[in-house]
Amino acid sequence: MMLLSLTLLLPLVLLLGAVWRPWRERLVWVLLPAALPALALALLADDALSLSLPSLLTGLEFGLDGLRRYFLLLGALLWVLAGGFATAYLRTDERRGRFAVFWLLTMTGNLGLILAFDLVGFYTAFVLMTFSGYGLVVHTATPEAIRAGRIYLVMAVLGEGALLAGLFHAAALSDSLLLSDIRQTIAAAGAPNLIISMLLLGFGVKAGMALLHFWLPLAHPVAPTPASAVLSGVMIKAGLLGWILFLPFGELALPGWGGLMIAVGVLGSLGAAFVGVTQDSPKTILAYSSISQMGLMLILLGVALAVPDAAPALLVGVAFYALHHGLAKGALFMSTAVMPTTSGWPRHALWLAVVWPGLALMGAPLSSGASAKIAVKSALPESLPDVFLGDWVKPLLSVGAIATTVLVMHLLMVLRDQKKAGSTERALSAFWLLTVGSGALLLWFTPWPEALPMHSGLNSGDAAELLWPMAVGVVLYGLWLGSGVRLRIPAADLLVLPEAVMRVLARRVSQARRGGRLFEDWLIDRVHRLGERVLAGQPSLERLERAMRRQSAALFMLILLIFSAIAVAVLLL
Amino acid sequence: MSFNDWLPLLVLSTSLFAAFIIFGLREWQHRWREAINLFAAVAKIVLVAYMGWGVAEGIEYETRFQLTPELAFVLRADSLTIAFAGLSSLLWLCTTIYAIGYLEDSPNRSRFFGFFSFCVASTLGVALAGNLFTFLVFYEILTLSTYPLVVHRGTEKALRAGRTYVAYALAGGAVLLIAVAWLHHLVGDLDFIAGGQLVNSAVADDGALIAIFALLIVGLGVKAALVPLHSWLPQAMVAPAPVSALLHAVAVVKAGVFGMVRVVYDLYGVHFASDLGVLEPLAWVAAATIIYGSVQALLQSDLKRRLAYSTVSQVSYVTLGITLFGPLGTIGGVVHLIHQGLMKITLFFCAGNYAETLGVHGVRALDGAGRRMPWTSMAFTVAAFGMIGAPPLAGFISKWYLGQAAVAADMHFMVWVLVVSTVLNAAYFLPIVYRLWFRSQPADWPHERIWGRHETSLWLLLPTLATAFFVIVAGVFAGVAFSPLSWSIFMAEDVYGL
Repeated sequence: MMLLSLTLLLPLVLLLGAVWRPWRERLVWVLLPAALPALALALLADDALSLSLPSLLTGLEFGLDGLRRYFLLLGALLWVLAGGFATAYLRTDERRGRFAVFWLLTMTGNLGLILAFDLVGFYTAFVLMTFSGYGLVVHTATPEAIRAGRIYLVMAVLGEGALLAGLFHAAALSDSLLLSDIRQTIAAAGAPNLIISMLLLGFGVKAGMALLHFWLPLAHPVAPTPASAVLSGVMIKAGLLGWILFLPFGELALPGWGGLMIAVGVLGSLGAAFVGVTQDSPKTILAYSSISQMGLMLILLGVALAVPDAAPALLVGVAFYALHHGLAKGALFMSTAVMPTTSGWPRHALWLAVVWPGLALMGAPLSSGASAKIAVKSALPESLPDVFLGDWVKPLLSVGAIATTVLVMHLLMVLRDQKKAGSTERALSAFWLLTVGSGALLLWFTPWPEALPMHSGLNSGDAAELLWPMAVGVVLYGLWLGSGVRLRIPAADLLVLPEAVMRVLARRVSQARRGGRLFEDWLIDRVHRLGERVLAGQPSLERLERAMRRQSAALFMLILLIFSAIAVAVLLL
Repeated sequence: MSFNDWLPLLVLSTSLFAAFIIFGLREWQHRWREAINLFAAVAKIVLVAYMGWGVAEGIEYETRFQLTPELAFVLRADSLTIAFAGLSSLLWLCTTIYAIGYLEDSPNRSRFFGFFSFCVASTLGVALAGNLFTFLVFYEILTLSTYPLVVHRGTEKALRAGRTYVAYALAGGAVLLIAVAWLHHLVGDLDFIAGGQLVNSAVADDGALIAIFALLIVGLGVKAALVPLHSWLPQAMVAPAPVSALLHAVAVVKAGVFGMVRVVYDLYGVHFASDLGVLEPLAWVAAATIIYGSVQALLQSDLKRRLAYSTVSQVSYVTLGITLFGPLGTIGGVVHLIHQGLMKITLFFCAGNYAETLGVHGVRALDGAGRRMPWTSMAFTVAAFGMIGAPPLAGFISKWYLGQAAVAADMHFMVWVLVVSTVLNAAYFLPIVYRLWFRSQPADWPHERIWGRHETSLWLLLPTLATAFFVIVAGVFAGVAFSPLSWSIFMAEDVYGL
């Protein structure tokens, strides 16, 4: 109880320090300690923990259970380690005070939604995380950051809208706002398509679901490195957790929705890997890798939704997969900022630390990835009849593993060729190595008694299963490198098409005037100009507005007439 | 007559007496004027709080004068009265403090503060009115007492806006008068009673009741700024900031929508109104207003005009709430009556602060204002997110109940109206927040005034911070007894006899 309250309150109390300028500048020093209660909670608390706050909002409930614990451990570890990393990273940054404020707010939201047991608490924390995350994305204030931030915000607001529609319907069905009850109510109502689709879309934006993902390869890389680590490591998992908590897993079989999720998951896992290989910036490659990995998790959720009996084991598997992926991804993001520049043996030793999380993503034996893959595969049902792509799930997961390998190989190549020297700051390296280490330790140390048993993947059957996609991936990447074919897809992929059309238009409309301005500025200018022209008296709302003002007497009469007509009609009927 | 019988009149007369005394003061006696104003405002809060406590305990407060055998002047306090009166008296205090700072050293302050108090007195009258006749009287007085405030600056533009306002308001009042007279002719003098009266009346003619309902809504809809009767509101923006704040948050706009709440719940009765089939058309008008107001707000580049159209949109949430049959709709509507007031008054205070301190009126000129005026900008950010409906702020609570009410009443389309409106709210508020905090100031401010150590005058800043604080508290502590939400639930229980 104490720890739970402290987890949520400490960052908010620390935020009070932002009020006074000298304190605000030093706020960046508390980023690590602010997340420590969460870590203690994840490691020490027992499961039957809950905190009831009936007088806040519509009555808040917080707590911890087996599934949430994986997410909490991930969140706590990453926010602690990335927090320490951020302190060192931003030591001389002009806007570090502002960064710390957004960091603490985002963290509170992220941890809060993991611990929330009720709908309103979850949504509150989700919204807090989303909007404060904007401050992390645009921190550098470069034109790219502003553009990424704008797209982030637009997608976030649309996602909130979809989510809100789903939640209104779900809450109105249910007598209680506890998430466990909501989920059962949705199941009892036969899982109305409207609710399911809105939840899929609303959380899909955050989870980088294919087709809704294009904000992510822009926003995740452009943030300062520690922020990229939490964005791609743990904040992206908020969407996943949302699906897990709201969709009626294990209550009833939804093969249709399951099949759709599998299809979208496959598109994400393979498509993102494909686009990712054409990138040449390490952080963008990592962002695409996140979309690809989330695709794999979406496939698993699709199976769980289609086969209720398999759901409990699969969800635990997915939760562990999320934990493993988050730590590996966080470590990889940090390594982009601390690429070793020393030569000789320390360089080789440090390279092992760069490579290890990559190997974990591929699922190499002895890594956390091996354990996650084995856990997930053993939870998969034998067969999936009547589900779209059902018979293909296992082969597709292997193809996904191949794609992951290709992408990680590409990342390592790009990192190797990187000319830019990384920071030599010791604190940065220390937190990076700690993150790599905590990911590696996962396999050897069961964080709590009820946690999933670990597999090293060393027995011959597992090892073969894990190693062949890696081998195929390495060969494929080698072939691709050898072929000399180079593709270049811009980081916003799907957004490129509409943007390209607009750019061509822009050039045609006025080449000279555009000068060196950013395309978005031009676009905004266009919209404003259009607005002004509309306001200037073309058929428009403004004219309607003026007409209403001028003809007020006639309007009154008209309204009276309409109402009396209605009255007469009602009378006659 | 006991004290309880006089209390409603006493509540009303605090600001009425203040008005008369202020009219009698000389222009230069500003210390006296301020003291009287503040004393009356605090006294009113204390009295309303006392009365609210009593109403929660089930005590009846009623002042009744029988004018003719058929006509009575009735002031009565019920749960709905307290909701509106509590809001008005609280915000009156904040606005008075703000206005003292805002109008420092400007001419005609006696006139201004006199009518200001008078306007609040009539708002309280609207809140306390125990029957339709009394309501009508105060509703008309409200028009007359706000006109001098709207035209206070005396410029050509202000006078024109004032003319438009009076033309609209009086026309609306005339329609209302016809409706009241017709109803009086049919059923006589009717008190507002929870659950409604007309269902028991012997009027067999549903058509007449429907027509009267329509007339009542048109009459009230002018003040409540229902599209297409809203055009006076954006024009009235020329009024000084504290007047706009009061107009949009409590006095005029709210009087209209409060009247609708009375008509639906206490005159017709919500079950009867639903049976008559008059709620659904009103719901569609409200939905159209919500969307239309948001779209117009998006097109405005002047901050106050954008806020004005936002009011058009947001006030119709209340109307939408009462038309969504069911306790959830009642709760959502009534709680938004209070929450919208808190949020909108904060936004107008902020707009006034920017205009007074920096000389900034346009949205685009606000770049970097967050660094220059962090507290004001913080208040603006809180209120803007509240308007968008982001938890844990007040606006979320309202939207949460309205959304569920729409589903419960089987009017799924209204859920989408709320969602689209949320997205539109974000589209016109977030760019402002972005400009405040993430842009840097390009050049000097148009007309900067320096107020010593603080970003602006404390008279302007403190009320702004107070109302922003209320926006947070009303949301975060919604579950506490006597919060706006708890009070609305208490009221909804009355309406539906739960």
